Amino acid sequence: MADPQSLPEGFEGLAPFAAVWGQLHTQEERYLQRQQSTMTQIRDFYDATAPRLDEIFCHLEQFPMDALPDAEALLYRTALGLTEAAMAVEVFGQPCVPYAPFPHKMAIQWSEHC
Amino acid sequence: MADISKHMTKACDMSLGNAFVPVEYYTSPDYFRREQDMIFRRAWLMVGRMDEVPEPGDYIVREVPTLKANVVIARGKDGQVRAFHNACSHRGVALVCQPRGNTMTFRCPYHAWLYRIDGSLSAIPGEQDFPHVDKAANGLAGIHLDTWGGFIFLNFAQEPEVSLSQFLAGLDVMLDGAPFEQFPFCIRVTDEIDCNWKNLVNAFNEGYHVAVLHNKTLRPAVVPKDNPHLHYLDVKQFGPHSTGTVQRNFDYNPDAPALTWVYAQMLPTSAPDLDAIKQGRAGFHDHPGINRLKIENFGTETITVFPNISIQPLANGYLFYQFWPISERRMRTEVRIYSRHAPRTLREEYAMASTLAATRDVVVEDMAMSRLQQIGMESGGKTHQQFGQNEPLLRMFTRDYEAYLAGAAM
Repeated sequence: MADPQSLPEGFEGLAPFAAVWGQLHTQEERYLQRQQSTMTQIRDFYDATAPRLDEIFCHLEQFPMDALPDAEALLYRTALGLTEAAMAVEVFGQPCVPYAPFPHKMAIQWSEHC
Repeated sequence: MADISKHMTKACDMSLGNAFVPVEYYTSPDYFRREQDMIFRRAWLMVGRMDEVPEPGDYIVREVPTLKANVVIARGKDGQVRAFHNACSHRGVALVCQPRGNTMTFRCPYHAWLYRIDGSLSAIPGEQDFPHVDKAANGLAGIHLDTWGGFIFLNFAQEPEVSLSQFLAGLDVMLDGAPFEQFPFCIRVTDEIDCNWKNLVNAFNEGYHVAVLHNKTLRPAVVPKDNPHLHYLDVKQFGPHSTGTVQRNFDYNPDAPALTWVYAQMLPTSAPDLDAIKQGRAGFHDHPGINRLKIENFGTETITVFPNISIQPLANGYLFYQFWPISERRMRTEVRIYSRHAPRTLREEYAMASTLAATRDVVVEDMAMSRLQQIGMESGGKTHQQFGQNEPLLRMFTRDYEAYLAGAAM
């Protein structure tokens, strides 16, 4: 039985980031993680994953999207952290949205009816 | 387009001279109570989409926090969609406890009074002890419901003063057939913040702040060189409702590898789909009521439905914002991002999560300013806000707001 915390072959180097971002299951949690991280932490994560986005998704695409094996699911959750980290790095140059309360939480719901 | 400035609607073009607006409207509990009674209990309020209850027996529960109303919206066996207060006729329990579902009956979990999907009372256990209760007169309390463009509106008056179509005052005619139904997939983002609801209504009714507050987020994508303060163009009034056209920079090309990668997977809701525009399949783009000026760099039509809705049709979907007052200094914001379909691949799911994060952050900027604005207004040093010639919709909203509080007909 594979360790549910191990990444697919070739992506082992992302383990330190999977230990943080890979543990989060919702966008709400990722948004909070971004606010609570330092810019150095966010930038290290960004630098390690952003250039590999295509490689990550080429690997993930070999599996059905609603039935990823544990290692791929962990890799995907880790990659999703980048949706928040990229806002901090590419847009704001800081973890939080300027002038927003801290920590700031927003409820997010994806529709189920279609 | 040669000279865009002639399409920049100014307050004076709309004969709106009310440049000074009392801060009291935004800070006084008395004004909040009057808003509840004179606006929110009289106006038609948009609360959802018909495609949230597509089949007989489908229901959703919605809160209308301004009126502390808890509402069940259900499609009957006969196909008709109805709205009820979620309150048992026996002793008041909010009996529908799931946020959505499909059923033909609602059973109160307290004493098992049973209602049909059309709201009528069908059974009282131990009925002999309730000889004074006429079942036919004790269904769930109905709320007036009507629809336009697939949107569900409620009216909490005993008898609405006007029909929904009269209330929409021609906005419904201009936007008749706008293809909202082509974008059924929705992501909802909600938050409660410490500010007056009108702070956010106003933020969505002027583009003046975009180049400043949204300097890092929206500005590069939407503020064009020939309109640096992002005046809304071709502003149109329909009773208390309005629309205005907003431009966009079609050559926006961020030096941002992760965001650029997202664009390549699935265009964000806001980005123009140039191929689709050329081929005439770009959703709202070709509707005659949208972008009436036919500007080439069309971004969105910002549609304000009084009192608390802003809708922005975009190239790949539309954004829907709703602002509910909870008190004079607290409100709930709801943002819905509507897209053509649910994500079909992990790349699309990632792209939608990224678009969600980016859209949310822009709204967070607006909410952050609205909160600071409340702090400043409550501090008490200023008695008035000042609305510029470039903020005509703020003046228009205030004009109609004052009229309704004073009892003017809807």
